[in-house]
Amino acid sequence: MVTNRRTFVAQSGMALAGAALAPCILDGVQTQPDIKLEIAPLSLEIAPGKVVHTVGYNGRVPGPLIRWPEGKPIVIDVANRSPVPEIVHWHGLEIPSGMDGASEEGSPMIPPGGQFRYAFTPRPAGFRWYHTHAFAGHDLKRGSYTGQFGCFYIEPRNDAGAYDQEIFLTLHDWNAYLAAGGDSSMEAAYDYSTIDAHMLGYAAPVRVREGQRVLVHVLNASASMIHWLALAGHELTVLAMDGNPVPTPTSTPAIRLGPAERADVVVTMNHPGIWVLGETRERLRKAGMGTVIEYANQPGTPRWIEPPETLWDYRRFAKPRATDHQPGQAIPLRFESKFHGPGAVATWTINGKSFPHTDTITLKEGERYRLQMINRSGDEHPLHLHRHTFEITSVNSLPLSGLNKDVVIVPANGTVDVDFTANNPGATLFHCHNQTHMDFGFMTLFRYV
Amino acid sequence: MVRTNDADELVSMLSCKFDMHEVWGSTVRVSMWLVLAMFAGWPGIARAQDNYEIQVYPSETMTPKTLLVELHSNFTAEGSTATQFGMLPPEHQEHETIELTQGINDWSEIGFYIFTAEKSGNGIQWVGDHIRPRVRVPERWHWPVGVSLSTEFGYARSAFSNPTWSWQIMPIVDQTIGRWYWSVNGTMVWDVHVVPPPTNFSPEQKQAYYRDVAPRGVTFGPAATLTYAPSKYYNFGVEYYSYYGEWGNFVSLHNQQQQFFPVVNLFVSPKWEINFGAGWGATSATDHLIVKCIIGRSFDWSHRRAGGSKSSQ
Repeated sequence: MVTNRRTFVAQSGMALAGAALAPCILDGVQTQPDIKLEIAPLSLEIAPGKVVHTVGYNGRVPGPLIRWPEGKPIVIDVANRSPVPEIVHWHGLEIPSGMDGASEEGSPMIPPGGQFRYAFTPRPAGFRWYHTHAFAGHDLKRGSYTGQFGCFYIEPRNDAGAYDQEIFLTLHDWNAYLAAGGDSSMEAAYDYSTIDAHMLGYAAPVRVREGQRVLVHVLNASASMIHWLALAGHELTVLAMDGNPVPTPTSTPAIRLGPAERADVVVTMNHPGIWVLGETRERLRKAGMGTVIEYANQPGTPRWIEPPETLWDYRRFAKPRATDHQPGQAIPLRFESKFHGPGAVATWTINGKSFPHTDTITLKEGERYRLQMINRSGDEHPLHLHRHTFEITSVNSLPLSGLNKDVVIVPANGTVDVDFTANNPGATLFHCHNQTHMDFGFMTLFRYV
Repeated sequence: MVRTNDADELVSMLSCKFDMHEVWGSTVRVSMWLVLAMFAGWPGIARAQDNYEIQVYPSETMTPKTLLVELHSNFTAEGSTATQFGMLPPEHQEHETIELTQGINDWSEIGFYIFTAEKSGNGIQWVGDHIRPRVRVPERWHWPVGVSLSTEFGYARSAFSNPTWSWQIMPIVDQTIGRWYWSVNGTMVWDVHVVPPPTNFSPEQKQAYYRDVAPRGVTFGPAATLTYAPSKYYNFGVEYYSYYGEWGNFVSLHNQQQQFFPVVNLFVSPKWEINFGAGWGATSATDHLIVKCIIGRSFDWSHRRAGGSKSSQ
């Protein structure tokens, strides 16, 4: 029998669900959870007359913001009221495999009508998020194509907090369908793009005052799209990426985020007016990706100003030199696609094999490893390592250091090296965060010996 | 019907009036005219075709602010060797057509053609120009097949074409299924202005002329292709071109144009398109062997800047 990600998930995750649920019940632990999440279908009006039928948490998109002190245990009950098995992944958190929310690692799928209790101690501090980690395959109304995502902010013990206002923004694309992609195969395309589930002009504006410093946490929760974002007439100073402070905070006219990437930026409100904060690409703003920033006592309609050319380079926010730490072992990872026709979805391989047939990579606790990613495709790929944080050490052979992330975009036909320390034993998933790619083979497992 | 012994006279009269090269400049680039065998009682002989652009269209339109420049080179390796009605025999003729296609938005484009012909001793001759707007059903409508509608209008010199002015409407339907791709172009042409028949034609001859050479109604000549892609770098398949005659009054199968081209399309780069084919005529009214080549290069005029409104990444 050929096993793909769907059957792997069904066999392993569903089997584990019963086992994992049982202790909660048998132990008789009935303590109230700190957070309750209910997964259920909903109709989302992203603009007047434009309704998206999707699945979300607690009847809203994005799901509720979870703010939690670093190091304090949390209990989250998740009830699945959707018709399909679901699971919640706590993205960027360094927690045990069984709680991470990826069935490939051993976290249980939650059957329809079922419930699961996640209990862990959130760490490290910073801007994390949570989202479904379910298989979608050809069904582009499941998985991360839905509204199952939310922000999870782990408050640091010592928060500098040099800002006057703080906002969270989530980017997402809706009504996915398969269309001709950039690498000669079908890829997901979308009808609408939103910020916080509203199309440009149909959400309450963000109200600011002149002179304020506004901290903006931006999450790209798209299933597959890389997004540019700019605030017309303003510079964005990047303080953190994927929740981790950058070594070199740098101002930029626009930021670029791959699926699952986050950025914490601070904006000094020094240009009074009513402005569009939106996708820099016109067609995506027209598709809805934008929101309005409104200064107090400013008349008029929202304006867009084309940002100057912006070259996005991780090195701008890092130390432009090689890391001081040397890895004990290098792990080459070669990414390639298998063509199945211009009207079909390509399958993806890591070192020549598609998940779940990829070679499991073994890790030794305490060792520092270097993942040498070689992208032999014409697509960019946002690679995500579960339950660990890595340091980017080179992009296209140019060295950098000090930039710690959990997602990195590997350029088309390019290379990226990242180092990480194996400090969180348990099965660890590594995959492309493009839902189409991961569902069609682009993932592998690391296991500790 | 013109009597057989009228044929030489008819040929002589027509040959001084026009060359029967035909320019459609659209999907069915095989010219469909010169049905003068009907006059002469020579079925399949007094028929010629013109090969300025031999291509089956997809429904997809060009990306906005992108210009595609194509050179269509068509060589008749084996065709009629007889001079008919003043027209040089198609065998060993070379036609070069420049096609410019500009994307306007995500559902429309406009194309422009420059037709040329090479004749031995005459160098390159300008034949004519056509303009071709095209609209498509936007992808966001999620139709199960691609659909677009092309219309083409233009002029060609009477020395090379009859009609001189023509208008074409062509619905296009296509679909990609895995490695397979098919497209059907339903070409319909209205002759806006034709070379008039010789003044000394009898009413019967004129009637035959307007029925078989220059129909007053809409003519039909579908084209289609079916390809298979073993690799992302090329596909191969077959293209079909035809001419059936006027709607409601199709010419006999013997006098129809039916041509099949085994083709190879190369995708060496997103900016380049390359097509090779060799066409086999299935009826006596069709040239027996035509070799064609299309080389296209796209140019991005949007001045896309990283992070800018026109950026594609």
